[in-house]
Amino acid sequence: MSKLKQHGLIIVAGAVVGLIAAILSWQGNPYNMGFCIACFLRDIAGAVGLHRAETVQYIRPEIIGLVLGAMGMAMVGKEFNVRGGSSPVLRFVLGFCVMVGALMFLGCPLRMVLRLGGGDLNAVLGLIGFALGILVGTFFLRAGFTLKKSTPQPKAEGFVMPLISLGLLVLLVLRPAFIFFSSEAPGSKAAPIALALIAGLVVGALAQKTRLCMVGGIRDAILFQDFHLLLGFIAIFVAALVGNLILGNPVNFSFTDQPVAYNDGLWNLLGMVLVGFGSVLLGGCPLRQLILSGSGNSDSSVAVLGMVVGAAFCHNFGLASSAKGPTANGQIAVILGLIVVAAIGAANLNRKKA
Amino acid sequence: MEQIATFHTHFGALTFQKKLRALGDSAAMMPVPRALSASCGTCVKFGMDFDPAMADEDLDAVYAVEGSGKYRLLFQNEEE
Repeated sequence: MSKLKQHGLIIVAGAVVGLIAAILSWQGNPYNMGFCIACFLRDIAGAVGLHRAETVQYIRPEIIGLVLGAMGMAMVGKEFNVRGGSSPVLRFVLGFCVMVGALMFLGCPLRMVLRLGGGDLNAVLGLIGFALGILVGTFFLRAGFTLKKSTPQPKAEGFVMPLISLGLLVLLVLRPAFIFFSSEAPGSKAAPIALALIAGLVVGALAQKTRLCMVGGIRDAILFQDFHLLLGFIAIFVAALVGNLILGNPVNFSFTDQPVAYNDGLWNLLGMVLVGFGSVLLGGCPLRQLILSGSGNSDSSVAVLGMVVGAAFCHNFGLASSAKGPTANGQIAVILGLIVVAAIGAANLNRKKA
Repeated sequence: MEQIATFHTHFGALTFQKKLRALGDSAAMMPVPRALSASCGTCVKFGMDFDPAMADEDLDAVYAVEGSGKYRLLFQNEEE
């Protein structure tokens, strides 16, 4: 009984996230992309003209909802703590690298789980790579990796991301001529704004409350044999699968003809190695960074900005994969990203104390 | 008395655990309980009496574990 009390909320939260993702796909978002932090940040980068890939430009209301939902829940729980200053530029670069990996694979860890829930077996390779990347990251944690502690920051610092989110919402509703809106898939495939916004708010609030984190689940399982966060991860998969089946979204367990995916196993795997590795050093997956950025954590806000800029670079320089497969530039970028993340890991090992 | 120390960094927890183990305590690292923090960091559960001299800048707070998910604040580290 106490086990249920202990783990009940994270399982419910995971299940709600999975179901909401299925509903969003059913209502217009691309299949197996009801939610994707990497893809949606990339779409936003395109919408404001940071890259000009015409198929991926849209201000995704889910992202706005996530930040504001997390802020609301943090305020209610008196957990809106404005902190920052923990190696911000390194976090920016790590966020950048995580995005390079995610756009190689075509999805953040959350979308990886949703792809599994849609039967996309390529995501199994992604999952293996993701776990490998996290494993490598935990070696660095055990060896004394630290980006140093954060410190209290001026109150205003904590409201920047929520205010940017509100600004994006205004731009989305007013649709001024200088904002780009894709007319082709996948950027043109979108659930109604109100539904997407509410979905983001609910998931943002739940994720803040439960600390739901794709990276944290596997990291805690490796470091402490603690499976609490991993339960949320599994619940998302089950709920997405069931939701897809009920709503009639396509579920075919195969490697081929999957929505917004390709089937080169090596690069699906390596892309997610980079995501897992970089995210462990950041302390959480892209979803978690977004939630923290709404909870007053300006270090996470910087990581998110790194991801947005990373996404812009990925499309400006042809690093991002497509349904046709990875690009040579993208392959080079992922290898460079792995070297950069390893170098950041090695440069921040601290053995002096203890 | 069972106590839990929370930290600003994973490294802080690692260092604290090592320090206490060297003193003969069976200190163990684990994910910080949700009731104590909204962060998903690492805490250390330990038994020996806490002395503020054990704290370094990475330590956030120390709580006494009072059974069935109840905690009592023993020490809150100061920040500049």
